[in-house]
Amino acid sequence: MSPVAANYLGIPGYVVFWFLFAIALGFFIQRLYLLIRLLKLGRPENRSDRLFYRFTSMLAITLTQWCSLKSVNHKDLAGIGHAFMFWGLILFVINYLIFIGLGAGIGLFTILSSSAFETVFFSILDVAALLVILAMIWVIIKRYFIKPERLKRKESIGEKIIQPLLITVIVSLMALHYCIEGFGYAAYGIPDSWPFIGVSFAHFLNGSGISQDGLATVYRSLWWLNYIILLGALVYAPRSKHLHPLFSFSNIVFKNLAPKGSLRPIDLQKPETFRISEVNDFTWKELLDLYACTWCGMCHTVCPAQLSGKPLSPRELILSLKEHLLETGPDLLKDKTVTVPAVADEKADAEPDSALAKTSKALIGDIISEDGIWACTTCLACQEVCPSHNEQMVKIIDLRRHLQLGALTEIAREPLKNLRVRGHPWRGSMYARTDWAEGLGIKIVEQDRDVDILYWVGCTGALEDRSLKVTQAVAKLMKQAGVNFGILGEEEMCCGDPARRLGAEHLFQMVAMNNIQLFSSYCIKKIVTACPHCFNTLKNEYPRLGGQFEVIHHSQFIADLFKRNTLKINQARETVVTYHDSCYLGRYNDIYKPPRQVLKSIPGVRLVEMEQNRKNCFCCGGGGGRMWLEENTGQRISEMRLSQAIDTRAQVMATACPFCLQMFEDAAKTREGEESLKIRDIAELIVEALEIPRDLADKA
Amino acid sequence: MKNIIVCMKQVLDPEIPLSLFHIDTEARQAIQPKAMPPVLSPFDENALEAALEIKDIQESNVTVISLGKKLTKAVVSSALAAGADRLVILQDEAFGEFNTYLTANAIATAIKKLGQYDLILCGLQAADTNTGQVGTGIASILGIPCITAALKVELDNDKVRVEKALPDGYEVIEAPTPVVVTTTYEVGALREPGVEAFMSAAKKPITTWNARDLGIETGNTGRFTMIKMDAPAHESKCEILEGSSSEEKAVKLVTKLKEIKVI
Repeated sequence: MSPVAANYLGIPGYVVFWFLFAIALGFFIQRLYLLIRLLKLGRPENRSDRLFYRFTSMLAITLTQWCSLKSVNHKDLAGIGHAFMFWGLILFVINYLIFIGLGAGIGLFTILSSSAFETVFFSILDVAALLVILAMIWVIIKRYFIKPERLKRKESIGEKIIQPLLITVIVSLMALHYCIEGFGYAAYGIPDSWPFIGVSFAHFLNGSGISQDGLATVYRSLWWLNYIILLGALVYAPRSKHLHPLFSFSNIVFKNLAPKGSLRPIDLQKPETFRISEVNDFTWKELLDLYACTWCGMCHTVCPAQLSGKPLSPRELILSLKEHLLETGPDLLKDKTVTVPAVADEKADAEPDSALAKTSKALIGDIISEDGIWACTTCLACQEVCPSHNEQMVKIIDLRRHLQLGALTEIAREPLKNLRVRGHPWRGSMYARTDWAEGLGIKIVEQDRDVDILYWVGCTGALEDRSLKVTQAVAKLMKQAGVNFGILGEEEMCCGDPARRLGAEHLFQMVAMNNIQLFSSYCIKKIVTACPHCFNTLKNEYPRLGGQFEVIHHSQFIADLFKRNTLKINQARETVVTYHDSCYLGRYNDIYKPPRQVLKSIPGVRLVEMEQNRKNCFCCGGGGGRMWLEENTGQRISEMRLSQAIDTRAQVMATACPFCLQMFEDAAKTREGEESLKIRDIAELIVEALEIPRDLADKA
Repeated sequence: MKNIIVCMKQVLDPEIPLSLFHIDTEARQAIQPKAMPPVLSPFDENALEAALEIKDIQESNVTVISLGKKLTKAVVSSALAAGADRLVILQDEAFGEFNTYLTANAIATAIKKLGQYDLILCGLQAADTNTGQVGTGIASILGIPCITAALKVELDNDKVRVEKALPDGYEVIEAPTPVVVTTTYEVGALREPGVEAFMSAAKKPITTWNARDLGIETGNTGRFTMIKMDAPAHESKCEILEGSSSEEKAVKLVTKLKEIKVI
């Protein structure tokens, strides 16, 4: 007997049903519309390419719950709990659409009830509801008793309310499912044995002595209670602080499809594309991230800046920006004519009554401190671990661009000026770019164009004392293997990575265009480099400026030489080695195997892994231009990672990146005691193992 | 509206790596390598910063003058990006032979040609020749006062107030404008321009004058001639002191250092 078939105070149930639905839907749409209008305040960004792929990819990621399961590790199993809760609740959403929507609403109730479909579906729901309830118990234990670090934060009242409210609502809905089943079956006829829990409950109720009318009344009341809770959820959901169930799906649809860690393209001729004075200067997609954040805090607990005591938390950045958008957004909507103010006087020149003048919080200073902005190493751990595929790091770089391009900061002034004037950030280097090659008979492309491969040395490899040995090692290996390669020598200019990561986009474009022109004029097609930062920039960022080349990292190149038996080591060297994954090689470009293959090509080497390796490796602290900035707060990130290496009891710490090498060599010097751990590039280890003549190997 | 003139010299990069630095002994000149572009002399950049700091607080017109045989546009026009309003390039083949007197004379002539000026700023000395004579020379030729080694420069209505560096401190000097002031690095590092400053620099006026435009004579070698320019031969001797213990080696070291009068 359909609950909507009866009359209530003389009004037909159908009318009540649809009337309530219309009101709830109205409120829902009203709030959703405002939220979307706030997104539209943001600058444009094109994410409409490959829509079919985007959509199917989202379905694959969310329906399999890979978004939650990817971060599960032995310390934190919460992703599993979320997966079960999600699957359970999705089944319930389908349940509500079919049995309430089509059943009660459209009138298919009688056909559906007691059908085989209902029996099967409700049986599944019985199990699903149980799993959801168990998941909720898990949530309660985790949030209120265990209280993991990643969930600890200062919450607003709205945020404090929504959590217990949501738990209560979900548990109530699951309980109501059983009750509605039980009372419904007890009142109108119990099926044979399935759904098991519903049927058992109904039998119990039958024996309780309540009249059939009584059971039917309770059934109808519970049914309407269930309906009103659902409508209440519909009204409250977009008004709550818990927006991710509504927006994570679309955020994953519009996720970054360009190479990992890609930054926003900007137009240097148009300051409005890179000035960030208010929250609506971010793009709509960057604002969508704010809604999609699940507050899981994973980004917070993997951020090396946060873990080493710097005033930066990707989670707090996102959530503070979200609060700020919701607070100031409605005013910004009214003041649509607010133009981006001049560089020198941000708030001071704004009209007294405008949103800009009224903003109580400055983006830079209140939402995130300047120290926090520069603390980021761009290691990408936050973006890798985010279940909603947010881009926290990208926003930080946008803020850096605002400061650098607007000449509002003196950060990294010396290295950036040096890059502008001398083509490299290593001011004070005593070397010329070809000094390392003296006596090695290396071809310079300007003099001899006949080369198959360009060996891109990079600024650090050519100009930093310690790294010269690595450059020589790589060159020696290539010569030994008979590779026909050449270098640009003095013509080589910085790849531009430090400039780009420090926000000085104009300097990046200047050096990048110069390099691309050089490559074209020498008909360069294939480039090998020993620096992951150069590798990432040349491979993934130059194409957008018109430079498309085949770029190979030296770990891949050397691994290939071994695979083809062009290089072979016969003498065994008994050493215990631990390999440190470079962020720009690992997380950015998913290159984990080749460096390990190179190490394993040395007979006698035993590879031990640090606990944090591959995708969740810990940064050395040198990325994001931080190689050229002082680290004065908290612990040194490089020292933290060095400790992790020392804990493995390895004799050698192998790296494949000049920044990592520098950072760890320095950390080893400042750290007291332990000098037994040797830090080497993989190329140096191969050269040592091949026992290439000392006099050539030592020239620096 | 104050008129400030800043004299900036384009020099061989003082931070050039040793392996790229060579002297052409016949031409008596350092060779400008292709690999390392020339730069603006560092003290001159400080002079420009001093000018721009004055411009930050009062309405001023900053003109940069640069003299040389062949100036690199990208290098000298970076002064416009930093904030100067106008660039005057004095370029002539003959200027390559110039000494400090002729340089000061040419620049002073250009300044007279420009007309109005309240303050002329120069770097203490150029990073290649390090003579420190052009700034004082300009003052002498124009017949105006000169204050050297300024740490701080303030421009009032009709006078300057300068903190001048001394070996053990500084003294404060006031002088009526117009005046020449030469600056040290303590005046402040030259600001790095933002992207908009770079863009707008392209629209600022650049005037180029040669010797004929200035009406000065060339070919006259002036008051002194360079006879020879060379890089000192780099000789290093390494003597290793042997000894059976660290103490013995230490004694030998101290004896040796006393012998060669280091201690």
